[in-house]
Amino acid sequence: MTLFKLSLRNAKRQASDYLIYFVTIVLAAALLYSFNGLVFSEELQTLASSMSQLPFMIWLASAVVVCVFGWLVSYSIKFMLLRRSRELGNYLLIGLENRQIARLFFLENLAVGGCALVLGILLGSLLYQAFRAIILTLFGLPYHFSFGFSFSAVGLSIIYFALIYLFALRKSRKRIRKMKIYDLIYFDKQNEGVVIQTEKKRQKIFAFSIVLGVVGTLMLITRNLLWGTIGAGCLILFLYGFFLSFASGVPAFFNRKPSRKYRGQNLLIFRTLTAKLATMGVLMATISMIFTATLISEGSGLVFKGLFQGRSMQQTCFDLYIGINDKQQDFNLYLDYINANIPMELSLLYPVYSNKNAQVMEYIDSTIVYYTYGYDKDPLMRYSDYAALREIAGYPAAELKQGQYLIHCISYLEEPLKNYTEPIIVDGKTLTLSSVHTEHFFQNYVAGNGRGYILVVPDDAINECLIHHQAYAAKTIYPVSQEQFAALNAINQSEDRVASFDIVSSKANIEAELASMTTITVFPLYYLALALTMTAATILTIQQLSESQHYRRQFQLLQKLGMDQREMRKALRTQFTIYYTMPAIPPVLIGIPFLLTLAKAPEPGVMVGANSPAAITVMALGIFFLIYAIYILMAYTSLKRNVLPETIE
Amino acid sequence: MLSVQNIEKYYGNKNNVTKALNRISFDVEPGEFLAIMGASGSGKTTLLNCISTIDTISSGQILLDGINIADLSESELAKFRRERLGFVFQDFNLLDTLTIEENIGLALSLNHSDANKVQQQVQEIAQKLGIADILEKFPYQVSGGQKQRAACARAMIAGQSLLLADEPTGALDSKASKNLLEIMTAINQDLDATILMVTHDAYSASYAKRVLFLKDGKVFSKLMRGNRPRSVFYHEILDVLATLGGDISDVI
Repeated sequence: MTLFKLSLRNAKRQASDYLIYFVTIVLAAALLYSFNGLVFSEELQTLASSMSQLPFMIWLASAVVVCVFGWLVSYSIKFMLLRRSRELGNYLLIGLENRQIARLFFLENLAVGGCALVLGILLGSLLYQAFRAIILTLFGLPYHFSFGFSFSAVGLSIIYFALIYLFALRKSRKRIRKMKIYDLIYFDKQNEGVVIQTEKKRQKIFAFSIVLGVVGTLMLITRNLLWGTIGAGCLILFLYGFFLSFASGVPAFFNRKPSRKYRGQNLLIFRTLTAKLATMGVLMATISMIFTATLISEGSGLVFKGLFQGRSMQQTCFDLYIGINDKQQDFNLYLDYINANIPMELSLLYPVYSNKNAQVMEYIDSTIVYYTYGYDKDPLMRYSDYAALREIAGYPAAELKQGQYLIHCISYLEEPLKNYTEPIIVDGKTLTLSSVHTEHFFQNYVAGNGRGYILVVPDDAINECLIHHQAYAAKTIYPVSQEQFAALNAINQSEDRVASFDIVSSKANIEAELASMTTITVFPLYYLALALTMTAATILTIQQLSESQHYRRQFQLLQKLGMDQREMRKALRTQFTIYYTMPAIPPVLIGIPFLLTLAKAPEPGVMVGANSPAAITVMALGIFFLIYAIYILMAYTSLKRNVLPETIE
Repeated sequence: MLSVQNIEKYYGNKNNVTKALNRISFDVEPGEFLAIMGASGSGKTTLLNCISTIDTISSGQILLDGINIADLSESELAKFRRERLGFVFQDFNLLDTLTIEENIGLALSLNHSDANKVQQQVQEIAQKLGIADILEKFPYQVSGGQKQRAACARAMIAGQSLLLADEPTGALDSKASKNLLEIMTAINQDLDATILMVTHDAYSASYAKRVLFLKDGKVFSKLMRGNRPRSVFYHEILDVLATLGGDISDVI
């Protein structure tokens, strides 16, 4: 049999023995290809002006993803080499040269990688269609399935894959060339020793790493780049210190308390987990680090999405809104263009007034964190304008009786303002609060309908109050097109208006911006998160599954020694739970405070409802554990099937 | 103590039946040291597997202390194995991840014995078998003979009444074999353990009090040692093996 045939046969075996690894490599190729598809898609990049940044963001993410997959492949190949050391030792024993074995191994992995790439590209083109559908839906455009290959995307995927594999295979070639028969044949019999020998040192490292973990997390949530980077460094030290000292501490603990060791199934579970102590400690720490990064990227993706959504919601209540800060400027330039070019269903040009006092603002300042900058007095609006604006926005009418006023505010301010019982004084008249409304009302700009809140008073209440600014809101017959929006912006930016800081906002434009911002930030972050989770879960799983031979022998022996099936299942389950839970604990402890503070960073009132910090944290954890659970489930079913001996008839 | 009555064991399907055990009957008395000999494929390992409840028989019955092992459920069988039977295998079957002490203590752990006393019990038995100084080591750090003694210790520490040994000297050199067999004899005589040993090695079999010879799944011949010296018994065994013919002569 030629070496080539042997390589092919080994490749086939590798693909089935390490099925999860193979599946992950296929998925990796699919991910790379589908995101490369986004990079080269002209259709998507012309959807909005900011979408041209998408390729750059994806390249950035791809660089990290290629490194991560490179590590996965390199680790897995090294791992398989070790696992198969006896087989490789036999090749050496029958007279093959190291050089030949290296070639054998190279060909074998090339075959596996090549197959994975082809399957991955096929799968990836479907995945790309899914991404396209999501993005088009975000832009509110119809999606039509159109299958097609992008040759540039295929080319780039091949380059990425070559980088991933060549790096890993170069390392393995070096390793194989240095191998000795004895080491190979006796490799898998040996247990690894304790890494940190002395008790005192271990305790010191353990305590120090816990401190580093807490300090690192605190630094991370300062949201300062320098502190955050130092914090991340502390956390990495914490994870390695923690897992290595912890892993070394377990045998010491049981040696001090032998009776604990022999209780129940402790002996089996603890010995199985600590057999490869050093490898296990480093592995757990690395996996934990990856999980932390995953959780943070997933959570950040959600925070960004929530932020864009929260900010834009306020602005999408009117098809067109223009606010002029400078009272000296007139509206005619805008109105001339609008009347000539944009067909209207309803429209209104109205003033926003300033009261002579700031009693509501002072109340808000005293009860909740909110910055009403741009105003030093409470903003006011006439009821007739308010009623017309509600109609333009498509909201039901709101009633207001004489002697009363109502508040329209963002939902964040609803609770405190509902409890505001003081009457207000407008131009000497006393008005009492009738109701509080919280529909989106363009209230997050100085030139909006108040900043955060506005007081709506009967028309005749306003006599001497000054105009704060003028605004224009309209319901158009057709959505405002990109050209129309650009023309209005051009008026805004024309030379004689530079100092006025007008706001021109169209619903259609905001929605397109939202869609493209979501796409260019959330897609790359999720791409990263997905690649990281897949890599970590795969490495944990192949490590676990490759032990199945060993476990099978162990359970066969235990069956002979009289352990019954129920107990074996229980032992396997416990072992499995510990193995998969350990690396997930630190990321959860670091991720939760980080995400909670990150989601609180935007101005108050934006991250609410489904985008509230708590909801985002729960969602990020949910997505993370969902992907993790799929791998755990696959690993457990496969392990249970392979490991537990069949019952005796 | 053990009564094997007319047992049969078939392998294969309807068209192609192999009779691994063919109407075998014998009894083992408490405190006896019985060896079962035969060539490869004579059915000796199948017989041992059936007695050790790892395999099932096609007909006949096996009674251990009057209990028919066919009547026991899956979990009762497991309990029966861990309380009543001790195993010593050719390839030691120690767990690589456990130290020698833990490998021995495992039998007690499986029996849910008092965890506080495990270490002390292991110490006691290890003293008797001369392996007290290697308890901290892992199996790959000790010799084959020491591993097999550890396996013996595991097979008897929980007070098992029947020790089943499958080619216990198969992987040992002659010195370690002799050492192990002497220890097994001592266990048999001093501790009153009942031993059933399967072997194809005449030298090992000569340590037993009685030898059963299997050929093609049947009991071919029996030999009692009585009061004869071991060397005489050894030659008698060789004589029987010569008449047994076939490939057995190739392996001795």
